[in-house]
Amino acid sequence: MATVEFAAAIQRHVACPIQQVTAPTVRRALAAALLGRDELRGYILDDQGRLRKHVAIFVDGAMIRDRRNLGDPVADGSEVFVVQALSGG
Amino acid sequence: MNDAQLLRYSRHILLPQIDIEGQERLLAARALIIGAGGLGSPAALYLAAAGIGTVVLADGDTVDLTNLQRQILHRTDSVGKTKVLSGQNTLATVNPECGVIALHERLSGERLASEVAQADVVLDCCDNFATRHDVNRACVEAHKPLVSGAAIRFDGQVSVFDASRTDSPCYHCLFPEGDDANEERCAITGIFAPITGIVGATQAAEALKLLIGCGESLAGRLLLLDGLAMEWRSIRVRRDPECTVCGSRSDA
Ligand SMILES: [Zn+2]
Repeated sequence: MATVEFAAAIQRHVACPIQQVTAPTVRRALAAALLGRDELRGYILDDQGRLRKHVAIFVDGAMIRDRRNLGDPVADGSEVFVVQALSGG
Repeated sequence: MNDAQLLRYSRHILLPQIDIEGQERLLAARALIIGAGGLGSPAALYLAAAGIGTVVLADGDTVDLTNLQRQILHRTDSVGKTKVLSGQNTLATVNPECGVIALHERLSGERLASEVAQADVVLDCCDNFATRHDVNRACVEAHKPLVSGAAIRFDGQVSVFDASRTDSPCYHCLFPEGDDANEERCAITGIFAPITGIVGATQAAEALKLLIGCGESLAGRLLLLDGLAMEWRSIRVRRDPECTVCGSRSDA
């Protein structure tokens, strides 16, 4: 099992507790965590299922390499963390 | 440094990581602050008080009553004045030795490139993604360190994108530019006042460290502040070899 967590700034829009998922890649982990959460899904991914530009994903504290296909591996016990860019100042 | 300066900056000079040499570097340094609002206020106050030689304040806005809840550079009698002139006045009372250049404009294009080229460090304290990407591009081109901060609601982010280092990512490596960015403004969403203070003061600390040359900067790390839980989280950001802004940097 891996966990998928959405940063606090994202959760101010749509609350979503930490999700337990079983998935080999970030893409599959995200799909599992967003299943049935259309509002949150639309915030993270675009219509084509691509990661939105203002969103970044980290696995075990390090930024993923494959933004395009989200093919980075997720291991048993991994922590997937989803962050959005803030722009206020 | 004269005797008055040795006394004024004595609590810095006492620190072995700063000493007279580090303080001299600050006195000779020029910092460009983009935005004289919630983040730029504490950042500018700390940089001026700490003895930075020249602070360039760039902001096209005027002070509004709704700004005063958090923008501590501005006073009630500043409402209606330009933020940069209001800021210049406040900083002059904090430390008259700090030279403040007030630019009442939203820097872009050649003007932005010119100001970035003259600066030793750039602080992005602005409130929109378009400017964030403009400033990032200018810093990558000029190989200048960028201290980036952002805040909304109870949340903050701060990092350093140091284009003078080959291993440091740029802002675009982390958040690519796109037209689907969800732009949230403090005017609509709200902002818990001290969050801008915490993030802006952190930006000032990183800028001073970079100028002095002490400690480890936030280059390669993004700090996230959850102000409701009052928890910081640090995550590692890496350079994107396919980044359209820094990917072709000659020193990559
Ligand atoms: Zn880059």
